[in-house]
Amino acid sequence: MEVFWQLMINGLMLGGLFAIVSIGLTIIFGTVHVVNFAHGEFLMIAMYIVYLATTSLGVHPYLVAPPLIVAFYVVGLLVQRFVIQPLLEARDPNVQIFATVGLSIMLMNLALLLFGANIRATPGEGTRALIHMGGFRVLSGQLVIFGLTILVVYLLQLFLAKTHLGRGIRATSQNRAAAQLMGVDVLRIYRITFGIGLACVGLAGALIAPMYPVAPTTGTYFVLIAFVVVVLGGMGSLKGAFVGALIIGIIETLSSYYIAPSLKEVASFLLFLLVLIFRPTGLFGSGQAME
Amino acid sequence: MKSHNRIKAGSGYRLLQDPEVVGLMVIVPLLVILPVLLGEAFIYHVFITICLYAALATAWNIVGGFAGQLSFGHAIFYGIGAYSAVFLMQAGITPWIGMVVGAAIAALVAVAISFPCFRLRGPFFALATIAFLEVFRLLALHFSSWTGGAAGKMVPLHIGWEWMIFRERSPSLMIAAGLLVLTVAVAVWVRHTRFGYYLVATRERESAARAVGIGTVVVKLKAVALSAALTSAVGSFHAMYLTFVEPQAMFSLVFSIQIAMLPLIGGIGTLLGPLLGTLIVVPLTELARGWLGASALGLHGFVYGAVLVLIVLFLPDGLLGFLQSRFPAVFGKQKRHAADLDAAAGDAAPFARAARQTQVSDAAEARSMGSGDADDWIVSAENLNKRFGGLVVAKDITLTVRRGEILGLIGPNGAGKTTLFNMLSGALRPDSGTVRLQPDPGSVVIPRSAHAFAQAGLGRTFQIVQPFAAMTVVENIMVGAYLHHGAFAEAHDKALDVASRLGLWAYRDTEARNLPIGRLKRLEMARVLATDPKILLLDEVMAGLNQTDVANAIDLVHAIRESGVTVIATEHVMKAIMSLSDRIIVLSAGGIIASGRPADVVKDPGVVEAYLGKDFQYAPA
Repeated sequence: MEVFWQLMINGLMLGGLFAIVSIGLTIIFGTVHVVNFAHGEFLMIAMYIVYLATTSLGVHPYLVAPPLIVAFYVVGLLVQRFVIQPLLEARDPNVQIFATVGLSIMLMNLALLLFGANIRATPGEGTRALIHMGGFRVLSGQLVIFGLTILVVYLLQLFLAKTHLGRGIRATSQNRAAAQLMGVDVLRIYRITFGIGLACVGLAGALIAPMYPVAPTTGTYFVLIAFVVVVLGGMGSLKGAFVGALIIGIIETLSSYYIAPSLKEVASFLLFLLVLIFRPTGLFGSGQAME
Repeated sequence: MKSHNRIKAGSGYRLLQDPEVVGLMVIVPLLVILPVLLGEAFIYHVFITICLYAALATAWNIVGGFAGQLSFGHAIFYGIGAYSAVFLMQAGITPWIGMVVGAAIAALVAVAISFPCFRLRGPFFALATIAFLEVFRLLALHFSSWTGGAAGKMVPLHIGWEWMIFRERSPSLMIAAGLLVLTVAVAVWVRHTRFGYYLVATRERESAARAVGIGTVVVKLKAVALSAALTSAVGSFHAMYLTFVEPQAMFSLVFSIQIAMLPLIGGIGTLLGPLLGTLIVVPLTELARGWLGASALGLHGFVYGAVLVLIVLFLPDGLLGFLQSRFPAVFGKQKRHAADLDAAAGDAAPFARAARQTQVSDAAEARSMGSGDADDWIVSAENLNKRFGGLVVAKDITLTVRRGEILGLIGPNGAGKTTLFNMLSGALRPDSGTVRLQPDPGSVVIPRSAHAFAQAGLGRTFQIVQPFAAMTVVENIMVGAYLHHGAFAEAHDKALDVASRLGLWAYRDTEARNLPIGRLKRLEMARVLATDPKILLLDEVMAGLNQTDVANAIDLVHAIRESGVTVIATEHVMKAIMSLSDRIIVLSAGGIIASGRPADVVKDPGVVEAYLGKDFQYAPA
């Protein structure tokens, strides 16, 4: 039984990590209604940047977070402005998918070109230290991620609920045309939202890099998990993504131990397919898979 | 009378009129001739790869292009083909049989995984296909004793045609080219028959496709099964050509995405596009690999991604679309009919002419035979109930429509007219109650789906027009005509006939997305008339028309009725519906409040109240 509870805690911690990875994806989908297939590759690039900064400048990985967040916000603005925005009125909505898929192929191969296929490990700097809590063990970095994830979700909710800009984002996500008629500059809202989404990816990169080594294909692993989490929680829902991430974290940990390590993702993907097919609105709400 | 350019010659001649087919017939033989002339092993390898990728891209295009279902999971079928051939080969069975077995398994798997996913739209269908692919890949990696796991598996090296493995390259090229020819031939056949029209119609507007009798789910399932079987066949041969299989490469997401990219770059949903895309991308990749080797690991992938983004941004219709718009004389599909367009400008009363030309059909005789006895009803709805959440939109509606009458359905906004229409045409399933049709006296049917209603002889228009935007006017009407005319030439003739009757002749080769709203309304009517309906549901066809056109439309509806068709119409133009209808049913708040001759209904105090409120009860009607 002790093993089971330790696994549950591991699962929750893993879930916290999945949550910070998924938040950006769900924000962008919820408002811009674009599934960013390059989401994982942006995370991978962020992790490489943290790796470079820590190994060449010797700074603590967490210190890379603030500049990374700002830089990724700007990258988000640019991607939205020059890649997604021209395709908003496209006849065939599938071209938006291809655009982000193209972006993902570019970024993945750029990493391959610059860093090669080898795995690069960012120095842990104490984030991989074991902390004992009443007989159970967690990694300090995991605890930081878990705490920060809750804080980020809370702050984003507050921002969306209380600020003028946040209300503009919510209005745009619910009905673009109506928001436009009310004087909201929806294209600006889209750019800002994409920026916020990628800023979250920047933060996630800084937090995850010291825990996980990075390779050009790292993004694919995380983006698939993020898709699962976001669909499970209801596309566009922050709280849903958080709870969905915890569920997936627990499922992966348990199935890895009780079934087989190589099948842990199969369980998540099967759950993902079941949710997509039978409850495309996600477990908690107002998803839009059916529209 | 205008001369109809009917197609008298056989279907071969018709195919030759399609510039894309001609392009294929020029390029595909070159793929075999060039390497034979050049004779170098590396060149052979490049052309074999081109043939295989072009075949994969063409097969993908049947689902991703014609049917518009974006699949990133096609490596599943490729992998199934590869492993089927290898497994059977280990048992001493030739991969030629493995190819057939693999194709059959792939088709079954495709149907099983696509059926639940068709409810999903756009990115969600793509995500589901990715998830299925990942499940296949992870399972294949896990069961390593069968698949070789991460280490992969060598194909036993038996040489000869029986085993598809050769010392020289030329037999492999023959097989690869053969697979390409097979795939292209299937694609051409699909595109130029009823099946292809149904696929494109389903992609463009699923509800409208169902309303003209297309079983949209079955059509899409056939497409994925076909596409998967072809993909699997290529996979079987490719495994023999590579003499090595591993789960990571066979069930690869990156590979799936590459296959999907090729048609997009060349021109998605076209016949020539997948081959064009392959001709650009594959030689580039192979040459980059040959010249730069490992020193530029990732460079060609980076270029791939960049090309994809640039194409999407600047040539959204792909290379073929670009060529067609730049050089319409060579590649152009749309014939221009400038003279016809001029003639159409003076074509003031198409509806009226249509009315004169509409002929009495067999159904009219059936009507006269059936009248007076128990068989004189054609639509019978019993106790229809429907609620959306707490809102009751239909309560206990029972109505009978007599064969050959024109029934008007009126009511204030929110009375439930559209809901009733949707239930009568199968677009919406009632919570309880049944709709029976008796298209021919004595044969009663209870259709269960929108397309079954259409097949039983009930046609409908939509209040908000639902054209198949990417199809031309004639193609739109042909989709309707195909319901009772399976052959291209018959459906084409029928469509041209209907087009000319409804004043759409001059626009016959214009894409529906370029038509103004007035013509779209006529197109809506033309498409449903082409299905030869016995019952016609008209949803506000006169809204937005000018006075003359309203008068003409009334004439047309009368003429349609004279030809033996029963008409049920809703209309906001009160004068029109009153002069049109033999009988009026008034709906209010989801229930029938009055029914009778138009003159009596307007005097009914309940009707006046429903429209104007209680105070006007005693106002003169």
